[in-house]
Amino acid sequence: KRSPDPLYRDFTTQCEKMDIPFLSYLPTEVQLINDAYNAVVDAVLGAEAEAGEGREPCATILATLKHIRIPIVSLDVPSGWDVESGSSGGISPDVLVSLAAPKECARRFLGRQHFVAGRFLPYDVQKKFELNPPEYPGTECVVAL
Amino acid sequence: QQEAQAIDQELFTEYKFSVDQLMELAGLSCATAIAKAYPPSSFTTSQPAVLVVCGPGNNGGDGLVCARHLKMFGYQPTVYYPKRPSKPLFEGLTTQCEKMDIPFLPEFPTEPAFIDELYGVVVDAIFGFSFTGAVREPFGSILSTLERVTVPIASIDIPSGWDVEKGKADGLQPDMLISLTAPKKAAVHFAGRYHFLGGRFVPPALQEKYSLNLPAYPGTDCVLQLT
Repeated sequence: KRSPDPLYRDFTTQCEKMDIPFLSYLPTEVQLINDAYNAVVDAVLGAEAEAGEGREPCATILATLKHIRIPIVSLDVPSGWDVESGSSGGISPDVLVSLAAPKECARRFLGRQHFVAGRFLPYDVQKKFELNPPEYPGTECVVAL
Repeated sequence: QQEAQAIDQELFTEYKFSVDQLMELAGLSCATAIAKAYPPSSFTTSQPAVLVVCGPGNNGGDGLVCARHLKMFGYQPTVYYPKRPSKPLFEGLTTQCEKMDIPFLPEFPTEPAFIDELYGVVVDAIFGFSFTGAVREPFGSILSTLERVTVPIASIDIPSGWDVEKGKADGLQPDMLISLTAPKKAAVHFAGRYHFLGGRFVPPALQEKYSLNLPAYPGTDCVLQLT
């Protein structure tokens, strides 16, 4: 499902022009995914998703992802999780990359590595929302929590 | 110079990159290169103070992004930005710096000695690869002051005032050059200590088309030290 917003259309063009293939459908056969890839990046639903989980094609995609064996890296919120209370039978990512700051549901994250990518937040925003981020090493843009 | 402009054009028209995207990546690579060559612990000033001099075009925009990331990396940048285009891109970048408590000087220090006292590094973000013709004020005076400064100068893409292909023997002699996308012809005349490559966004197909022969960047780094 592609947004008509020019921002996303341009991102798509940039990928296509870099010879990044776009699959026309996600295999429902879990073994095919396990065999063809070493990791899956879950960029399906984020913090603003409401009933998105119930709608197609997200529901089928998430159902498939629940059963794969290769690691899943979720961006910001594991897709299908409630942004505050977390999952109830949803996907279990191996790695979570929280954007800006960890969301409430990150407390329920049980995977191997949790990174935060929020080094772009100005100090007064951090203070205002009492974010207390950890120190970022050197010039790195992510820090492991 | 024409090739650099052609590559830029292709990135925007064929690849649909936005100026904001590329400027952010360019400015970030400049700040990263500076952090590698001049870590905060190496400064003799009491704070790691950096002066960022921004010109009237995109090179200036790269400087604004660089200043913001330097602040994130623990430096105390100060910006001098005398000629500001009234375009949302530059107004936005200026606001981002101001809201991060990065001071903007109302006047350029008149004496090189003042700059040497207050700052450990100067970032030259005045003119870039589109520069042609004569240097207009206030940049002429600024450049002649910078030519007499003794603290290291890090130039973004092209040492300002240099001919983009032939260089300028009696012009600015920066200690560091951060070539963006690919080194420009003038880079052969660069005699400073540190030459970094930045702007890790050129798709492989474009690199091939223009025979850029860029060396490989290490890991996920956004800069590569060439010398």
